[in-house]
Amino acid sequence: MLDDVILRFATMLDRLGRATIRAVAEFGFAASLFGQALWWIVMGRARRQPVRLAPIVIQCVEIGIAALPIITVLAATIGLMLAIQGIYTLRTFGAESRVTLGIALSTVREFSPLITGILVAGRSGSALAARLGTMRINQEIDALTVMGISPVRFLVVPPLVAMAVMMPLLTLWADLVGLFAAGLYVSAQLQTSLAAYGDELLNILKLNDFMHGLAKSSIFAALITTVGVVNGASVSGGAEGVGRMTTRSVVHAISAIVITDMVFAFMVTR
Amino acid sequence: MNLKTHENNGTVVVSLAGEIDLEHSPSVRKQLMELMFDRRDVLVDMAQVAYIDSSGIASLVEAYQMARKNATRFVLVAVSQPALRVLQLARLDKVFALADTVEAALAG
Amino acid sequence: MNPVQVKNLDTHYGHRHILKDVSLEVRQGEIFVIMGGSGSGKTTLLNHLLGLLRPSSGSVHILGQDINTIGALAKQELRTKMGVAFQSGALFSSMSVGDNIALPLREHTKLDDTTIGIVTRLKLEVVSLAGFADLMPSELSGGMIKRAAFARAIVMDPKLLFCDEPSAGLDPVVAASIDDLILRLRDAMGMSIVVVTHDLDSAFKIADRICVLDKGEVLALDTADAIRASPNERIQNLLNRRTEEAEIDPDAYLRRLLGEKDEDEDEEPMRDHL
Repeated sequence: MLDDVILRFATMLDRLGRATIRAVAEFGFAASLFGQALWWIVMGRARRQPVRLAPIVIQCVEIGIAALPIITVLAATIGLMLAIQGIYTLRTFGAESRVTLGIALSTVREFSPLITGILVAGRSGSALAARLGTMRINQEIDALTVMGISPVRFLVVPPLVAMAVMMPLLTLWADLVGLFAAGLYVSAQLQTSLAAYGDELLNILKLNDFMHGLAKSSIFAALITTVGVVNGASVSGGAEGVGRMTTRSVVHAISAIVITDMVFAFMVTR
Repeated sequence: MNLKTHENNGTVVVSLAGEIDLEHSPSVRKQLMELMFDRRDVLVDMAQVAYIDSSGIASLVEAYQMARKNATRFVLVAVSQPALRVLQLARLDKVFALADTVEAALAG
Repeated sequence: MNPVQVKNLDTHYGHRHILKDVSLEVRQGEIFVIMGGSGSGKTTLLNHLLGLLRPSSGSVHILGQDINTIGALAKQELRTKMGVAFQSGALFSSMSVGDNIALPLREHTKLDDTTIGIVTRLKLEVVSLAGFADLMPSELSGGMIKRAAFARAIVMDPKLLFCDEPSAGLDPVVAASIDDLILRLRDAMGMSIVVVTHDLDSAFKIADRICVLDKGEVLALDTADAIRASPNERIQNLLNRRTEEAEIDPDAYLRRLLGEKDEDEDEEPMRDHL
């Protein structure tokens, strides 16, 4: 009886140990991939494999421009939601007129980068994982390698650069749309003008607040790409494996984004 | 690789020799295209070609097509065995105008 | 100098010993067939020849250079001199057939666009796929994908060509035409060609020399005729498609039946590169 319990406990520890080793190995793989990608950006030309602009532009369109409509809708919705909740909550204290402060800071510092990150992770991070996973099981990555073309340079760098460029831009767009949508609701509810709301925003928001959100969105860009690539590259077991890793990449990327967001906010506001 | 040209009765004879590979085919292409732009009749003597790769063949194809457009002559002369095998692989021996010797090409 | 030189190659996958002391060399201009059933280690051997895997011990020299010790730039250079036609074709599904074939030229040479276009279409002519440059790989049949993969493999006029299971999954007529293509390529370009296959008919049709792999060991390495006439029982079994009575290890067999796993057997080695 006791033997049994000890054996089970040992098995559990064994599994836990293996899982930990795998997680550490995966983290190391991610870090090394990210490092290699940066290395190719700097050293590509010297190694006769320059990073080319055309695939980066294609990725920018795919990641950024194509995401504009849905980002616009979601950012406007979040802005409205903040305005509605803000006014409702502050009404308890009779402080509705102070609502702009909350809306402005939470949109620019938190909600815009977060919603953009989650959306891009779902749209482009998963697509990246699926594409690399399909290429892995179809031997396309091996084919690149034996042609003397670095898969990191050819497949990872373009989406990484495109994300790093487009994420802050999308976040900035989400800032503008969210604040505008919130402004429409606030000015209607509090019978003030949109211009007055705008003036208030300009007084409240410092460059620092925008930078806080944009800096986070750059980190999210790196996270989404790396998570997508690592999951895509680790695919095994055919089409089902691709599906599994694609899902995993979305879950991992969103978790990474939310946790990083909290850590970043904690570090920066101390 | 070695490329020499001389004139013979208004026809330019281009003599290729050695290995025509990725490194050298762009210069072959450039020379041939210049002759084509000048609307010259060209014979390419390939007797001394030890090796020619696809990019070299591609340069010959491009020049030949231009010669046909200009209605000038473009003849491959005394094609060496290694070069002929590469032409045959893509059945280009049936496409190019071939001649056994420079004299025969000049006469014909 | 032989284009491929393998010395005492030993490899492991996890704890399993896959290749056991494999030595062979491929001579200039020959068609060398690596033959063996599934599980013989022939795919692993190919991946080592391509420098995709690192051996536990032993060395692989490709065109005179040790593929596991040379620097990254030299390796990149070396790889432009070898072509590989993968079993699945491994065409990039996001690119047209023409772009697939042109990719090595675009990436590795400074050739003019016109020249690249002509070379690309020339290679399509060679593999009898003229006019298919603008199609996507998903629009091709199995045999056409293999042909396109050959066209991409030879676009840089490599000195050394590797073909993984060129006839697998094709009907006999199409398979025979691929064999003819391999023979034509060798005769016209003087390439050295390494073919990995389990297809006996194809092997004897094209091979100058055959290496028979069995359970990770070189069972025989000789000319095609000598292999066919070999008195070795295991080779004859393979040639006559007789299944072998595998020797039974009672301990391992009982453990398998009871569902007890060997330690680490289910652990796949982690990929540490893309």
